[in-house]
Amino acid sequence: MTRAIVALALTFCSLSLMAAEPGAPKSIDELLAQTRAVRADEARANAARVQRFIDQLDQQQRLQAEAEAARAAEERRADRLSTEFDANERRLTELQQQLDAKAGHLGEMFGVVRQVAGDVSAVAMNSLVTVQYPQRQAPLTALANSTRLPSIEALETLWFEMLREMNESGKVARFQAPVVAPDGTRSTLDVLRAGSFNVVADDRFLSYLTGEQTLTTLAAQPERRFRRLAENLFEARDGMVETVIDPTRGSLLSVLVQTPGWREQVQAGGLVGYVILALGLFGLVIAGERFFALGAVDRRVRAQRQQLTQPTDDNPLGRVLNVYHRDPHTDHETLELRLDEAVLREIPALERRLPWLKILAAVAPLLGLLGTVTGMILTFQQITLFGTGDPKQMAGGISQALVTTVLGLVVAIPMVLLHSWLSGRSKDLVQVLEEESAGLIAENAERHRV
Amino acid sequence: MSELLRPLTDIRDFVELGGPVVQVLLVVAILLWTLILERVIYYRRAMPAELARIEADWQARGDHRSWFAHKIKQGWVSAATRRIRGPLPLIKVLVALCPMIGLLGTVTGMIQVFNVMSALGTGNARAMASGVSAATLPTMAGMVVAISGLYFVSRFEQVVERESHRLNDHLVTH
Repeated sequence: MTRAIVALALTFCSLSLMAAEPGAPKSIDELLAQTRAVRADEARANAARVQRFIDQLDQQQRLQAEAEAARAAEERRADRLSTEFDANERRLTELQQQLDAKAGHLGEMFGVVRQVAGDVSAVAMNSLVTVQYPQRQAPLTALANSTRLPSIEALETLWFEMLREMNESGKVARFQAPVVAPDGTRSTLDVLRAGSFNVVADDRFLSYLTGEQTLTTLAAQPERRFRRLAENLFEARDGMVETVIDPTRGSLLSVLVQTPGWREQVQAGGLVGYVILALGLFGLVIAGERFFALGAVDRRVRAQRQQLTQPTDDNPLGRVLNVYHRDPHTDHETLELRLDEAVLREIPALERRLPWLKILAAVAPLLGLLGTVTGMILTFQQITLFGTGDPKQMAGGISQALVTTVLGLVVAIPMVLLHSWLSGRSKDLVQVLEEESAGLIAENAERHRV
Repeated sequence: MSELLRPLTDIRDFVELGGPVVQVLLVVAILLWTLILERVIYYRRAMPAELARIEADWQARGDHRSWFAHKIKQGWVSAATRRIRGPLPLIKVLVALCPMIGLLGTVTGMIQVFNVMSALGTGNARAMASGVSAATLPTMAGMVVAISGLYFVSRFEQVVERESHRLNDHLVTH
C-alpha cells in the first residue's frame, strides 16, 4: 500500500519534472529527439549490461580454469604420493626382513643375557655384598624377568654388577646397615663385611636373611676365641690381622643357632633323666656331708696324735687310747681284746653312708640304660607310625635314649670318684685305729716307763 | 715362634674337635700324670731313705720281743705302707674312670650328630662330621689315657706290696 503511494508520488514527481524541465514535448521533433536520446541512453545501458555479463563470464571461466588446474595438480600429487607409498611399503618389507634377520642373533643373545641376569640376580640375592648396595638387586631382577630387548644401559648394569660382585668379594668393607637384634628391635649399626663370607659388628657375628634382605644378630655366638678374632678384624683399620671367616657363607653359623642348649637337652631326657639327676643330687649331698664329717674326724685324730698323753673323747683315736689310759696296768691279752672292741665300735661311724655312694654310682648308669631302652621304644613306635623316611620324627626318642645315657654317666663318674676318695680317707682312719693305735699306746707306755 | 706354638695349637684343635668331654679328659690326664710322677719321684728319692730310717729306729730299740715291740712294729709298718700307697687308690679310680668318660664323650657326640640330623636331615654328611669327631675322639683319648696309666698302677701296687713286706721282714722280732 505504502509502495503504491510512493510510486504514485514518484510518478507525479516525474511527470511534474517532465513538465517542468524538458517539459512536455512541444512538438513531434522534440519527441523524436527525446525518444532518440532515451534510446541512446537505453542502448548505453544495455551495452554496459552486456559488457558486464561478458566480464562476468570471463571471470567464471577463469575460476573454472583455476579449479581445473588445481584438480590436475592434486591428481598429480596423489599419483606421486601413491608411488612413494608403494616404494615405502617395499622398503618397509625389506627393512623388516633385515630386522628379523638381525634380531634373530640378538634374540639368542638376549636369551643368554636373561639367563646370566637370572644367575647373577640369584647370586646377588644371597650375597653379602647386596647388604652394602641394596639398590642393585632390583635392576638385575627386572632384567632377568623382562621380555623386551634389554637396553645398552641394562646390559652395562649387568656386567658392572658381575664385576662389582667379584671385586667386592675380595674386600673388607665397613659400612652402616640396619640390624635386627634377636628380640626383634631394629637399629642401624657400623658393620664390617669380610668378602662375601661373613658380617661382624664388634665381636658379634651377623647372619643375612635373604628373604627379608636384612642382617640379624645371631642368637648363639661361637666360642669366645673366634669372637675375639672377629673383633680384631673389626677394630683393625689397615694392615694384616688374624681373623676367622665362615667359608660356608653363614650355613655353619646358622647351624650353631639350631643346636639346642643343655637345658633343652636335659628336658629331652624325660622322667628318667630327672630321676637320675635327683639321685645325683642326693649323692652329692651325702658326699658333702661325709666330706665335712671325715675331714673333722681326720683333723681331730691328727691333733690327738700330737697329744698322745691326754686322750680326749671327741675323736675315735682318743677313745681307743682312753681304753689303755683308764687302766694302764692290765695284762696285754686283756688290753688287746679291749682295744679290738673299741676299734670295732669306731669303724661303723667312719664307714657310714659310703655304701650309698657306691650304690648310686652303680644305679645311675643302669637308669641311663633304662632311659636308653625307653627312648628306643619310643623311636620304634615312631617308626611304626611314620616309617623311617624322616629322621626328624625319630629324633625325640633318640635324644631321650642318648641324653639319659649321658646323664647316667655324668652322675656315675663323679660318684665313683667321690666314693673312692672318701672311702680312701675312711680306710686310712680305720687303718690308723686298727693297726697303729696299739703301736702308739706301746710307744707312749715305753716312753713313760723309761 | 709360630713353629714352637704348633703343638699347642694342635692340642687346642684336638680339644676343640672333641668337645667339652675331651677337656675333662685332659684335666683328668694331667691330674693322673701329676700323681704318677709324684709317686715315681717319691719311690726313687724319698722312700728308700724313709725305710732306712725306720729300720735304723728299730735297730736302735733294745726291746724287740715284748708285746709293745710287736704292736709298735705293726704300727710302723702300717704307717709306712700308708705313706708308700699314698694316692694310689685315686690313681686307680682315675684310670678306671677314663674309659667311662670316653664313653660319655661318645654319647654326647652322638647327640650332636642327631641334633645335626634333626636340623639338616641325613643328607649333609659334612655337618655331621663334627659330631662324629666329638664322638670318636674322646673314646680314643679316654682309652689312651687309661692304657698309659694301667702299667703304672700295676707297677705301684707291686712296689707297695713288696716294700711293706720287706719292711715287715727287716723289722725283726724274736
